[in-house]
Amino acid sequence: MTGIDFGPIWAHRDQVAAGLLTTIALSAAGLIGALLIGLPIGAAGASRARPLRICAVAYVEAVRNVPLLLHIYVWYLGLAWLDLPASLCAVLGLSIYSGAYAAEIVRTGLLAVPRGQTDAALALGLTGWRTLRLVTVPQAFRIVAPSLANLLSQLIKDSSLASVVAVGELAYQAGAIEADTFRSAEIYFTISLLYLALVSIVSHAVLRLPRPQAAVLRDA
Amino acid sequence: MPEVIARNLPFLAAGLATTLSMAVLTALAGTILAAGIALARHLRIPVLSQGLAAYVGFMQGTPVLVVLLICYIALPAAFGFRTTGYAACTAGFALFLAAYCAEDMRAGLRAVPPSLIEAATALGLSRPKTLRLIVLPLAARVALPALIGQYVRMLKYTSVASVIGVPELTGSALMVNARVFQPFTILGSVALVYFALCLALSLTGRALQRRFAETT
Repeated sequence: MTGIDFGPIWAHRDQVAAGLLTTIALSAAGLIGALLIGLPIGAAGASRARPLRICAVAYVEAVRNVPLLLHIYVWYLGLAWLDLPASLCAVLGLSIYSGAYAAEIVRTGLLAVPRGQTDAALALGLTGWRTLRLVTVPQAFRIVAPSLANLLSQLIKDSSLASVVAVGELAYQAGAIEADTFRSAEIYFTISLLYLALVSIVSHAVLRLPRPQAAVLRDA
Repeated sequence: MPEVIARNLPFLAAGLATTLSMAVLTALAGTILAAGIALARHLRIPVLSQGLAAYVGFMQGTPVLVVLLICYIALPAAFGFRTTGYAACTAGFALFLAAYCAEDMRAGLRAVPPSLIEAATALGLSRPKTLRLIVLPLAARVALPALIGQYVRMLKYTSVASVIGVPELTGSALMVNARVFQPFTILGSVALVYFALCLALSLTGRALQRRFAETT
């Protein structure tokens, strides 16, 4: 194969676009799932009750020390009798795996808010729930926003592994287009630029969020 | 030990050996590359440091699977050479790991207080000597826990080599599963092996971190 020719890739632009949309959908679903898991587990990890903390550590260590690829295969092959659709297996694998990372982010965020803040809120007569909602969570969110953006970038890249169970995301479509056109360098170059674009959008978006340090230093 | 695993143990053990050799080679090559990248960028060598910044940005924005596909399919096709799955994956993993480790090493280099460098200069140490005796040892301490984290991540990522057809641990487990369909037992056992390896590595990292925290 000689010469560089992006013509055949352009001819398959619909397939590339479909892959891109699926990648975005997978990452978004994965992020929602990861947060649904990460919020309670992270809160447990930051709690003062020892049994809760042990459960949180057990989940985080058990899940994040196993490769994501195996998480996806366990849902697709290991639990084959459930006969779940491949895209659901990918979302479950991504959510559970990233949930462990999300839990760590939630935990550090909650622990990073100075104790004086919650004490002050309680002293002012706020209930425990309102303290959490109005004082702890907003400050914790500012502190962990960059880590959350990092988690989403990681999810976008990791969603490429959904291709192993034939979910039609970007990497899978690239393989299909490569098989059609034999333009391997061009197609893989194209999709890496698309991944790079998605990740850059996420990391630039987080720079626009309010800066955390100043607020925390002022309040501490 | 489940019977499927016992019966296919030599095959799975060969897969584990491939995983481990890939991980060790990747860690070695990746760390050496990363040190070069981090130093070149830290010393702001013109042109080279901009080029390396672009390289790091590219790697950090690309999934490891795509890096492997580029090394195994795209580059050989574009430049007309042949490679094996094992070689392509190890090279791809090392190139990928180097970008992340270089960032951690740079953070370590930046963490060395300028006053120490000034003190070394005032004591008459030459620039290379300051770098070797003062900056690098301190930077290494700061960067080491993060580097171990990267090695753990890389060890997990070696499973992606199975997609290219490299019979490492995951790949050989999938083959055993294709022979005797017992996916839950086989995948569960393999997951346990990864779990033990990664946990051991990250606990080592944490122990090192604690020791350094005491001595500094």
